[in-house]
Amino acid sequence: MDYFIHLLILICIYTILAQGFNLPFGAGRLFNLAHVAVYSVGAYTTALLSTELGVGFWGCIATSILLAATASILIGGISLKLSGDYFAIGTIAFASVVSALEINWKSLTKGVLGIPGIPRPDIGTIDFYQNINFLALAFVFMVLCQICFYIFFNNSIGRSLKAQAEYIPGAEALGKSTKNIKFFSFIAGSTAASIAGSLYAYYINYIDPSSFSLTEMIFVLTIAVVGRPGSFWGVTISTIFLILLPEPLRFIDIPPSILGPMRQLLYALILFFVVYWKKDVIFPVERRI
Amino acid sequence: MNTEDNKKLPILSVQSLHFSIGGTSILNGIECRIFEGETVGVIGPNGSGKTTFFNCLSGFCMPDAGEILFKGTKITDMPPHKRARLGIGRVFQNFGVFKEMTVIENVIVAIESREALWRSFFPWGTQNKRNRSEAYDFLEKVGLHEKAEEKTSSLSGGQMRLLEIIRALAFGADLFLLDEPTAGVSPKMKDDVAKLIRLLQEEDKTIMVIEHDLNFIEGFCERIMVIDVGRIVLDGEPDKVRRDPLLQKIYFGKDANEKTL
Repeated sequence: MDYFIHLLILICIYTILAQGFNLPFGAGRLFNLAHVAVYSVGAYTTALLSTELGVGFWGCIATSILLAATASILIGGISLKLSGDYFAIGTIAFASVVSALEINWKSLTKGVLGIPGIPRPDIGTIDFYQNINFLALAFVFMVLCQICFYIFFNNSIGRSLKAQAEYIPGAEALGKSTKNIKFFSFIAGSTAASIAGSLYAYYINYIDPSSFSLTEMIFVLTIAVVGRPGSFWGVTISTIFLILLPEPLRFIDIPPSILGPMRQLLYALILFFVVYWKKDVIFPVERRI
Repeated sequence: MNTEDNKKLPILSVQSLHFSIGGTSILNGIECRIFEGETVGVIGPNGSGKTTFFNCLSGFCMPDAGEILFKGTKITDMPPHKRARLGIGRVFQNFGVFKEMTVIENVIVAIESREALWRSFFPWGTQNKRNRSEAYDFLEKVGLHEKAEEKTSSLSGGQMRLLEIIRALAFGADLFLLDEPTAGVSPKMKDDVAKLIRLLQEEDKTIMVIEHDLNFIEGFCERIMVIDVGRIVLDGEPDKVRRDPLLQKIYFGKDANEKTL
């Protein structure tokens, strides 16, 4: 039963993370490869504040969001000046700066040793060391984020984002400030990532740089691509599907050292084949003036 | 057609507009005044700077020198979306419709731009329903309402033109910059485009239209400007422009040269 709850908590956290990636990537065609870096900013902020300074849950969440939003303004301000593929390269640069800081700023982040002993949230008298209670918390956050993203995908913001993704001059000619729209989607996505990071740190009680590597980014990308980029329900369902998919492997008699790489191999294969077969659906033909 | 034109204030006035790319000058001092409710045809040989002129007016190219006034506001340094909000509606030569969206969504996007963001913030709000029915009414005007829920990429070239023009109308543009609205459009569809332009005229919109087919624009333009090497060389009533020997020389003469090359 506890195992089942564990999976549900992961689904909640990853739904928030993936949906935050899906808004700029799917609707706006902004290939933000720094998404997991922002996720790690959220996780590290929560971990450090709660272990070193003993800051409570709401303080941690708020600071995480604030810091991640600041980081995303920084990345966005620089990278959004670049277009298309160059934007992706700009965000990779940022992601490697963040991961280099996490590994090498040992006095703050303890480097590759990571930060252990992160306490569970302290809201009222609820015992969040009980996983079922933590699931309830994660579920509430997931539902809130899902409602926000459902709104963004289906209102004028989502439509403007889709419009600028297809043809920037066309959107500009209809009075849309494409810069602001892109920025908005970017910050909304980063906020979600920081909430997911915060919840992740609280849940696992231990974080280290390896949890936020490129592999993690590829997993998030796989979720978005399998669920069809820009599709709200598609990504929700593909998160559930992809988190549960490798689980049967656990019941086969394989040593854990092989299990990890096998999961990654599985995701990489799925990503490859979906992109190979469905590339016209996933990446529509670009146009120029 | 409209004798009161000269009494009205110019909606658009352009003063010595210069533009160049990498040392090659494209526009060499364009001067013109467009009055409210006018329909102006813009013709000229390929590469004469017609589209660049439109790009400068709608903000996609920033001129090197010169001034553009729209409704009395200086818009020379304004980004495209701000000019659009003032009422400049641009229709692109190579289709500015969003092909991944449905036909009706294309119009809804335009309608939403007119109003404050919060009004259509909630997808289940009444404003969204109102916008949708308004968009449907606009589509009805050009007979695309039956295809409202279809993907825009399924439309024909001519239908995309109609959609793009009606979208600019739904957005509430006052000055329409139509860049070759009949390029690659069947003769039957050409009539539909002409009909739509007349509809815009009925709503007292100001229209500037780039065209190669002189016979086509003569039908509805009350004034024709001829651009050659980045300058307006002729400007006047269609009959006068057509008879002018200069037009024969730069327009048809150049075409003849191209054929011999």
